[in-house]
Amino acid sequence: MPHKPTPFARAPFAGSGVLALLVLFAGCSVSPLAKHTAAFSSVTNLVVDNSENAYRDAVRLHDQEQMVAAVAKYDTDPTWDPHKIQIKHLIDDQGLAVRSQVLDGLKLYAQSLSDLTNSISSDRLDAAAASVGNNLVALSSNIGNVSSGGFTISQTQANLASTVLNALGQFLIGKKVKSQVPAIIKNMDPTVETICQLLNDDITILRRQSHNDYEQLLVQQDSFIRHAQGLSPVERRAEINKLPQILADQQTTDDMLADLQGTLGKLALTHHALAAAAQNNNPESLKDRLGELEAAAQRLSKFYYSLPAS
Amino acid sequence: MAKTGARATTPKTVAPTTEAATTLTPKTVAPTVTGTPGLTDQQTIDAYQDLYDTLGRAYWDASDLHSKDTIQGARDAVYDIITELDEKELEANTEKFQTLVGTIKATNKALAEIQAQINQITKNISTAGSVLSAINKVLQFTSAL
Repeated sequence: MPHKPTPFARAPFAGSGVLALLVLFAGCSVSPLAKHTAAFSSVTNLVVDNSENAYRDAVRLHDQEQMVAAVAKYDTDPTWDPHKIQIKHLIDDQGLAVRSQVLDGLKLYAQSLSDLTNSISSDRLDAAAASVGNNLVALSSNIGNVSSGGFTISQTQANLASTVLNALGQFLIGKKVKSQVPAIIKNMDPTVETICQLLNDDITILRRQSHNDYEQLLVQQDSFIRHAQGLSPVERRAEINKLPQILADQQTTDDMLADLQGTLGKLALTHHALAAAAQNNNPESLKDRLGELEAAAQRLSKFYYSLPAS
Repeated sequence: MAKTGARATTPKTVAPTTEAATTLTPKTVAPTVTGTPGLTDQQTIDAYQDLYDTLGRAYWDASDLHSKDTIQGARDAVYDIITELDEKELEANTEKFQTLVGTIKATNKALAEIQAQINQITKNISTAGSVLSAINKVLQFTSAL
C-alpha cells in the first residue's frame, strides 16, 4: 500500500509553516458570501421558474375562459362566426416580455454572484499554478544541462512555488470579489425587494383573476348541462363530472400561487441576508471568518498534496 | 381560499402564506381614476369582487333555470369590470417592471466585468507557466547543440 507523504517529506524546512502562512494569505476569501449566494441563487431559480409558469398559466386560463364564453353564445346568436372571436390576453406580449426580462435578469444576477464568489478556488487556477511548478523543475534540469553553475530546484520546492502562486491567485481573486461585489449587492438590495413586491402584487391579481376565470368556466359548464336537452344519461353524467374537476383545478392553481407568494418573501429575506453578509454585518461573521480560514487551509492543503511527490 | 367542493371566495388582498413573506408589504394604492369616486382602486375591486362572489352564491342557490340565467347575466357584467381593472393594474405594473430593467442590466454588466478581471488573474498565472515552458524548449534545443 503506497505510503502517503507527510508535509515534512515534501517540504523539509517549513512545509507546514509555509502552508499556514499561505492560509492566512489566502484566507481573505468569500466563503460566507458564497454560502449566501448559493442559497440566493437556489431560491431565485425557484421563484423565476414558478413565476414564468404562473404568468403563462394565468394567460392561458383567461384565453380559455373567453373561448368557452364565445362558444356558449352559439345558440343565441344567429350570426355567430368563429372568425369574429376576439381573445384579449390578460397580459399583452409587451407586458410578458418586460416581466421575462426582469426575471431572466434576476436569474443571471444570482448566477453571476454565485459564480464570482465560488471562483476563488477553480480548476483553472490549480492547473495554471501546477504548470508553473512543473516548468520550474524542467527549467532547473535544462539549465543544469547547459551550464554547470546553474540553479537546481527540487520537486518539493517547485510544489511550494506552485502553492504560493495558487495562494496568490486566490488572494487576488478574493480581494477583487471582496472589494467590488459587496457594494453591488448592497445597491441591488432595494431593487430585489421592489421586484419581489411587484411580483407579489402581480400574483395577487393573478389569484383573483384565475379564481374568477374558473368560476366563469364552472358556471358555463353548469349552464350548458342544464340547457342541453339531448344528452344521454351517460353523456350527462360525464359532463356533470367535469364540475368538481374545475373546482379542484381552481384550488390547485390558487395553492400554487399562494406558495409562490410565500417563496417571494423568502427571496427578499435571502437577499437581505446576502447583503448583510457582504458587509460583514451579521452575528455569524466571526464564526464565518474562522470557517473561511479553515476552508482556505483545506483548499491549499488539497492542492499541495495533489502535486507530484517527486 | 375555500377548499375544493366548498363555496370559493376570492383573496382580495396580499396574503403572505409564510412567516418569511411578512416582509412584503400590502400594496400601496393610489386614488382611482376609473373607479367609484372616493374609493381607491383596491377598494373598488374588493367591492366588485364581493358582489361577484355574492352573485355566485345566489346562482347556485337559485332553483330555476331562468333565475340562474338572470343572475349569471349580471355576474358576467361584474366579471368584465373586475377583469378590466385587473388588466389595468397589470399594465401599471408592467411600467414599474420596465423601470427596473436598466438597473438589472447595469448590475449584470458590472458583475461580468469583475468576472473578466478574475479570469485575467488566472490567465496571468497561466501565462507565467507558458513562458517557463517556452524557455524550457529553448534550453532543450541549446543543450542539444
